[in-house]
Amino acid sequence: MTYNHITSISSLPFLFWQRFLNWLGLAVVIEIVVIALLFVVGFLVSEHFRTTGNVADIFEQMTGLAFVALGQTVVIITGGIDLSLDATIALTSSLLSGVVNGRADLAAPMIVAVLAIGITIGLVNGALILTLRVHPLIITLAVAAVIQGFALLYTLMPIGSMPDGFDSFAFEHLFGIPIGAIVAVLLFGLVGFILIYTRLGRRIFALGGEPIAARLVGIPVNWVVLFVYGLSGLCASLTGIYLVSRLGIGNPTGDTNFNLASITPVILGGTPLTGGRGGVLGTLLGVLLVQTLNNVLNFLDVSTFYQWMIQGLIVIAAVSIFVEKRRRVA
Amino acid sequence: MTVVDAADDHSNILSVTGISKSFPGVQSLKRVDFSAKGGEIHALVGENGAGKSTLTKIISGAYVQDEGEITLNGEKVFWSGPGDAQRAGIHVIYQELVLFPELTVAENVFINDQPLTRLGIIDYHAMARRADDVLRRLGAQIDVRQRVKNLSVADQQMVEIARAFIGSVKVLILDEPTAVIFGVEVDLLFERLLALRAAGVAIIYISHRLEEIFRIADQVTVLKDGVRIATLPVTEVDRDKLISMMVGRPLTDIFPPRRRDQSDAPIILRAVGVNVGSRVKSASFTLRRGEVLGLAGLVGSGRTELAQAIFGGLPFDSGEVEIDGKVFTKTSPRTSIAEGVGLLTEDRKGEGLLMQLSIAANIAAPRLRDILRGPFISPRIENGIAAKEIAKFSIAAPGPQTVVAGLSGGNQQKVLFSRWVRTCRRVLLLDEPTRGVDVGAKVEIYRIIRQLADEGYAILVISSELLEIVGICDRTLVMCEGAIAGELIGSAISEEAIMAMALPK
Amino acid sequence: MSTTVLAKPKLVSHRVSRVVERNGLLLFCLLLTAGAAIFAPGFRSPNNLQNVLTNAAPLGVVVLGQCLVILVRGFDLSVASVMATAAVVATSFDYSTDWSVIPILAVSLVMALVVGSVNGYLVTQRRVSPFLATLAVMIVLQGIRFAWTKGAPSGRVPELIRMIGSQAIHSVPINLILLVILAVFVGVMLERTAFGRKIYMVGGNPRAAELVGVNVNWITFLCYVLSAILAALGGLVLVGYVGSVDNWVGRGYELNSIIATVMGGVSLSGGRGSVFGALVGAFVLTEIFNIALLLGFPVQFQWVVKGVVILLAVAVYLRADRSR
Repeated sequence: MTYNHITSISSLPFLFWQRFLNWLGLAVVIEIVVIALLFVVGFLVSEHFRTTGNVADIFEQMTGLAFVALGQTVVIITGGIDLSLDATIALTSSLLSGVVNGRADLAAPMIVAVLAIGITIGLVNGALILTLRVHPLIITLAVAAVIQGFALLYTLMPIGSMPDGFDSFAFEHLFGIPIGAIVAVLLFGLVGFILIYTRLGRRIFALGGEPIAARLVGIPVNWVVLFVYGLSGLCASLTGIYLVSRLGIGNPTGDTNFNLASITPVILGGTPLTGGRGGVLGTLLGVLLVQTLNNVLNFLDVSTFYQWMIQGLIVIAAVSIFVEKRRRVA
Repeated sequence: MTVVDAADDHSNILSVTGISKSFPGVQSLKRVDFSAKGGEIHALVGENGAGKSTLTKIISGAYVQDEGEITLNGEKVFWSGPGDAQRAGIHVIYQELVLFPELTVAENVFINDQPLTRLGIIDYHAMARRADDVLRRLGAQIDVRQRVKNLSVADQQMVEIARAFIGSVKVLILDEPTAVIFGVEVDLLFERLLALRAAGVAIIYISHRLEEIFRIADQVTVLKDGVRIATLPVTEVDRDKLISMMVGRPLTDIFPPRRRDQSDAPIILRAVGVNVGSRVKSASFTLRRGEVLGLAGLVGSGRTELAQAIFGGLPFDSGEVEIDGKVFTKTSPRTSIAEGVGLLTEDRKGEGLLMQLSIAANIAAPRLRDILRGPFISPRIENGIAAKEIAKFSIAAPGPQTVVAGLSGGNQQKVLFSRWVRTCRRVLLLDEPTRGVDVGAKVEIYRIIRQLADEGYAILVISSELLEIVGICDRTLVMCEGAIAGELIGSAISEEAIMAMALPK
Repeated sequence: MSTTVLAKPKLVSHRVSRVVERNGLLLFCLLLTAGAAIFAPGFRSPNNLQNVLTNAAPLGVVVLGQCLVILVRGFDLSVASVMATAAVVATSFDYSTDWSVIPILAVSLVMALVVGSVNGYLVTQRRVSPFLATLAVMIVLQGIRFAWTKGAPSGRVPELIRMIGSQAIHSVPINLILLVILAVFVGVMLERTAFGRKIYMVGGNPRAAELVGVNVNWITFLCYVLSAILAALGGLVLVGYVGSVDNWVGRGYELNSIIATVMGGVSLSGGRGSVFGALVGAFVLTEIFNIALLLGFPVQFQWVVKGVVILLAVAVYLRADRSR
């Protein structure tokens, strides 16, 4: 039995590479091109850029963002959003370094505990969204406020420390690539697999695209919602752990700005805020793109403050170009 | 009219008895009995609002009936939701398809039931293969790996039907399936339906297209105003008899006398070749001063779109609107209001009233400068105007500042009337002016309409109630599938004549 | 086409929910104040009261603007950033004369005009959700500000602004007087002008408003511009109160202003609410923080309070909204 292949949108003859690009999606293709361009620019601008050390740097810096962007992607596919990321990171990172405080025997249990806390925060988000029936934007902001309060109540300033060797998560390299980045990529792969190859994954897309239809065909919406927010919480705590590994200490102030930063790669990756389609590959490349951009701008001696601005402009440009239907609040 | 029953046959798969259902303000179904036999195509016909949709939703579990029973294969059943009915083998293909546009055909077919490999992950190969199987069995040639949003509507419909068929189907209900497909696709659909019939499925077919019913149905049931009028084998009726059954009801004396010929009055509004997407096709008509022009047609025939396009609430692709000699190639609510053209929308809560504002605010809305004194709104002027209108239209409300959300449907409608009547003095486009309004208020509204016409307003009345059109219009246009299918003048206006033009050929 | 109607049981009877929405906040405010007067040490001191009012004033100014935007079914997350930018402007001029207030005002207003226009444009013409649009603008503005100040804003605030921001006449804070003047202005505009009426119409039912000839896009656009202008004024008042400027001036005000407005009965679904309610909301919020402090809770507890308050407000108001 033969099956028709995915039809191409252009009228050009049907080539393998064309089909492949179509499957990847427009956004991903654009991202790849832009990243390549950035690398070219980087090469031209500075010798240092070419060093493997710098490339490793890029990976190192993007790992933290990568985790939260992953969680955010899945949430956004269901048509929601998670703005409790900074707060969760604040709480988990400070609890981790604060409680462990250098004692090696507490490290592993605390890591587990902190992951559990992240998941729990996510589940609370999901549960509130389901029961209060209000847009996730408001719910996650409210929960974020509470969590941020807890973090600050625990400690006002970065506190504690981690045992030696903990920083290997961030800094140790395996085949020249930081371990943290490897873990992130693996996690991306796992989630991507779930999204494509499991019923749960398909339901996530269904819910995002047509929430009313999803209920009508009997999809257990509640479990899906709980899962995606729980996952996002987990990812946030992973970022918290990663930051502690990198900086040696947790930060309770919640000024990490991952809330907005996590959205940019998602949008760049072709996952619209209205949900229903998209994927993690686009996000992963989006993270790489943003980080590479920052890296190149650094080499071009552009101050970090302009980088902020550029981030915001990218978001504006991206949403203006991919004009989406304004989503009705469910 | 006597109720004729098909021979009571124990091979009835589905049987509903004594079904009643009412919604606020309207009794949708009154003790309806209905049954569908396996291996039979049973058509369900009736005017807009006759209750076909409600009956379908009760059978499929989307609504719960107020009284009455549902029996499936001899056993009494009760649905707590559409899922129950689906599991029991009752599937409905609605006109608004329940699909996921971003997912592929195969995924849509298996949306809640993806086949898994031994390892527990989704088996895309098997899913594609099985989806392909089902579709081929149904006679469709659709690429199962395509995203549904890229398919034609006819193919999308096929995908939904396919989804129903991955399980066992005892009863298949199709609600206006041919509203969106044409020609060869209709033939295909019928082939499949006949095949399904041969396989013993009970098929309920709802349609306005009477010739289709004669083509494939075995039985036909006529509903009217929520009551079952008759159930007959198709061989025992013809088109005229069906129409008269759908429409016939005793005339009651609730309409003011009609004016006669208005053809010498000046033309106030003229539409020429108005096109609105696929909804309105090259519509042209004239409206004269002092006449009440009806616009009849089935739901979806484009009446509301035409009225909205003329007013400027919807953009039209091509055509012109001429108001008292001035020609417009684009209209907007603001210019229409300035030219004295007002639109009373079909959906008074969604598009008409500002529910949280007062009667006075709603009345003044189209022309706020009426209530301004200097730069400020004067409550005295605002209330004064409102009080006058309340008296004029006999609106039952405590006062001008009453929030309209608290008023009854009839009074809300009167508020809208007063808004447009006082602001726009040339043309009034009334879309379903008596919808959701009790009989007493209806009579008042008819009187008002006639009075306004006498005063010189040019009025267009869109209505799905044929009785209304017959009762108050001097002249009527009938729309069918986006085009103006015909015109009836004076005494030629009758329910049968309208229906005959409104039904697609 | 008819839609599936599933009966939803009303959680709270119609009458009760209406009473709650109309007077609930006021009642709560009175109860809170009474309770605090009894239980919170130092609450009753006139000094503290004056403190609370002076504290609440900047928030109040911003709330006026947020109120307008929420009324047209949006919200403005960029207000904090606008406030901070205005604060930076205030300290960037030659402060030796009071006349420097004029360029400060002028520049701040122009800045606000631009920001508000961008917000309005994105929301109305590009159909971007208000969340994303104002959030992105907030970030961009932040970047510009950081770049301008090189990350370390500094400078002195002109005396006039200091005076308005922190002094009092006969123990009535001057910034409160300013707030009242602005509030009266905005309130009258909302209740008694065609523009204000149109705002309610657009927020209540944009489609119906469109069909009576209102230019929905223009009205919405103007609201975003006004919000930015009021935020800039709020920023000037705030910096006058605080006396100096740093990177975090106005932090949290976007959230606080939204909470206060929603608490004040301005519905997030638009078209409902009043300026008075929103201001009471601002006052109550400030009061809650004040009481928490007096009761010995650490400042960080404000966050928890904020979060809980949002959730409660959401649970009560949006529920009441729905049962309509």
